[in-house]
Amino acid sequence: MNRQPDFAAADHAQLVELRDRLREAEETLEAIRNGEVDAVVVGGPAGQQVYTLENADRPYRVLIEQMQEGAVTLSEHGLMLYCNQRFATLVGAERESLIGEPIERFVVSTETSAFHRLMDSGRGARRSAEFMLQAADGSRVPVNVSIADLKVDAQMPRVLCGVVTDLTHSRERSHELAAANMQLASEIDERRRAEDGLQLALDAADMGNWELNLVNDVVTRSARYDQIFGYTAGERTWEWPTMLSQFLPDDREAVDVEFARAKRTGFIDFERRIRRVSDEAIRWVQIKGRTYYQDGKPVRIAGVISDVTDRRHVEEQLRQAQKMEAIGQLTGGIAHDFNNLLMVVGGSLDMLDQRIEKDEKTARYLAAARQGVERGARLNQQLLAFSRRQDLRVEAVCIEDLIGTFENLLDRAVGETITVHIERAPELWYCRTDPHQLETAILNLAINARDAMPQGGAITLRTRILQLDAQGAATSGAAAGDYVVVSLSDTGMGMPPDVVDRVFEPFFTTKDVGKGTGLGLSQVYGFARQSGGFVNIESQPGSGTTVFIHLPRTARPVAVETATHSTAEIKGKGVVLVVEDDNDVRAVASSLLENLGYSVLEAETGSDAMRLIERGGRIDLIFTDVIMPGDMNGIDLVRELKARHATIPVLLTSGYTAQRIASEELVKDLQLLRKPYNQVELSLAVRMVMNDRA
Amino acid sequence: MNDANRSVAAAEDSEEPTTGEYNLRLYVAGQTPKSLAAIANLKNLCEKHLSGRYTIEVVDLLVTPQLAAGDQIVALPTLVRRLPPPLKRVIGDLSNTERVLVGLDIRPKLASTT
Repeated sequence: MNRQPDFAAADHAQLVELRDRLREAEETLEAIRNGEVDAVVVGGPAGQQVYTLENADRPYRVLIEQMQEGAVTLSEHGLMLYCNQRFATLVGAERESLIGEPIERFVVSTETSAFHRLMDSGRGARRSAEFMLQAADGSRVPVNVSIADLKVDAQMPRVLCGVVTDLTHSRERSHELAAANMQLASEIDERRRAEDGLQLALDAADMGNWELNLVNDVVTRSARYDQIFGYTAGERTWEWPTMLSQFLPDDREAVDVEFARAKRTGFIDFERRIRRVSDEAIRWVQIKGRTYYQDGKPVRIAGVISDVTDRRHVEEQLRQAQKMEAIGQLTGGIAHDFNNLLMVVGGSLDMLDQRIEKDEKTARYLAAARQGVERGARLNQQLLAFSRRQDLRVEAVCIEDLIGTFENLLDRAVGETITVHIERAPELWYCRTDPHQLETAILNLAINARDAMPQGGAITLRTRILQLDAQGAATSGAAAGDYVVVSLSDTGMGMPPDVVDRVFEPFFTTKDVGKGTGLGLSQVYGFARQSGGFVNIESQPGSGTTVFIHLPRTARPVAVETATHSTAEIKGKGVVLVVEDDNDVRAVASSLLENLGYSVLEAETGSDAMRLIERGGRIDLIFTDVIMPGDMNGIDLVRELKARHATIPVLLTSGYTAQRIASEELVKDLQLLRKPYNQVELSLAVRMVMNDRA
Repeated sequence: MNDANRSVAAAEDSEEPTTGEYNLRLYVAGQTPKSLAAIANLKNLCEKHLSGRYTIEVVDLLVTPQLAAGDQIVALPTLVRRLPPPLKRVIGDLSNTERVLVGLDIRPKLASTT
């Protein structure tokens, strides 16, 4: 490198610098020569000045040429000195033909004066206004014209420059926007109508609506929602924990679970209890709704709410009524079979009584056995009363006429520690019922009242009238109309609700074992239903019990037929055909009849009986059971006989003398002997039927 | 530290010196085509070869013509290397990258003129 070591270091550095400066100068010249620069700096009296070479302003030119706004330069008098391609396109003319033309040519005639004002006003100030351009082909283009004075040089005449913006597109956008606005407005209107409709439906259904926002936990509610929970209007907004706290403590967990599940399943539907704020009442509410999702995540649950307490109450009553009906069917069936058994036992006892030698002991045994049969029969009567299959001797009865009997009954039943009040009715009301069954019912109630007041108290018997409208009747399972209400109140210990719910069930008792049969109130219930009325009960622990017997009111007193009862058997003669499906009962009935002096023919079924009759032998009486299996029961048999052998008298017998039999016109005037019967009763019935026919 | 110094020394032997900040000034004349090209080319070149160690100052002599005197500018565009010293000048639109790199002493000249 250093080929000349004797050169001074300074001289070498100078050389290098000079060489570099030379190179720079050469490069500068080279660059200018090659056209690599497009401006030069020139010194002058006013200092440094920059001169750009020709075409150096090309970027500006291109910018103006190609921009999307029209651009023009105008002389003071509005002649176009220059215009860009865009302006030429706007007015639909060749660019070349426009230079030197007055721009007014393209402004609609009504706006030319305004355009002049725009050009003249305030020299040097920037200004703009909207105009309508008229293109060469006559079409119109809305534009914004912005004008400014163009000051290039002091020596130059006054020149204006203008920028013309096509507003067609923006006007279209405005129109689209306006149309979209209208559309939106009408949709909002539609939506509001739909909401109004929905609100109407909710109001009609007595429903409130709610929405739980799962993001911030806030609950939105309608006025009806608050009403259901017992709030007055204008409650603050609240969150999920508050909503949950309005349910009973026992139900909260279940409610929480339901809502958690709704987040997964998308639906919610449950019934739970709340405590209403206004009166502390416990109410059942039904909540129904659905979950709304966003990006797969649950964001809100919305739905309706209604108070279903009354509906549940009615459902509960219906369930209870159905249960009672089912129990009635069951007990009725049992009682029927039981009556047949008692018939066999009682009949056999009657025959034993006649056949054996009786010492004192045997007589006592027989009496005890017969007493047992009688008690069984009474019990059975109560069962049948409950199942509404007993024989009701319905008459028009004035309760007032029975008050005397009731008074005796009550005094005897309740003892000395209990006072009996009787509130007499202000009028004479008649109702259709069986007075004997009513007596039994009052007696049953009195016994219950006595047992409820071991320390003494008071019993009040009251009679009043009640008008039941269709709705009230429906909840009681009866027909609308007037009812005579006989009520019996005590001042006893009362009953809790769960006991009240069950008191009418047969064999339900709160009394000690052996003290009650559990059939007392069942008899009251069955008797009232069978009379076309109903019973209800009011009771609270510590404040006594009142039972109301509702009996349909009637206006027509019917003459009461009094029957005389004889206690001695009457023997007779003749051929009796006994029709009975139960072998034991048939045997007993035949024996009893034979004891009474009759000849007996037996048939197991209605068809067998018909065949015997068809054979034409002598038959003076047909004694037939009503309910028999097979294709011909007692009623069918009677119908056949009426058609062919109307002369033969018939005596019916049944374990339960259902009303449905009595309702048949055909058997209205036939005698019916209730099982179990003894020899005396049988003899009287047979005698009466045969005499009637004779 | 020693290791770091060694690696820096090694780098100096290679074609790109790694020490020092490049302070560059580009003189232009408004938005002439060459001026616009020069700005774009310079930005591109610096990012490629001087990434992170340069500053560029663009001086428009149409706005401030008096600044031309300081760096003795005669034609535009002109690029001046103000740091590191000594002052270097490259004239033109900087489209010839090789010439710019040499002119700015970023890359040593391959053949001596003398």
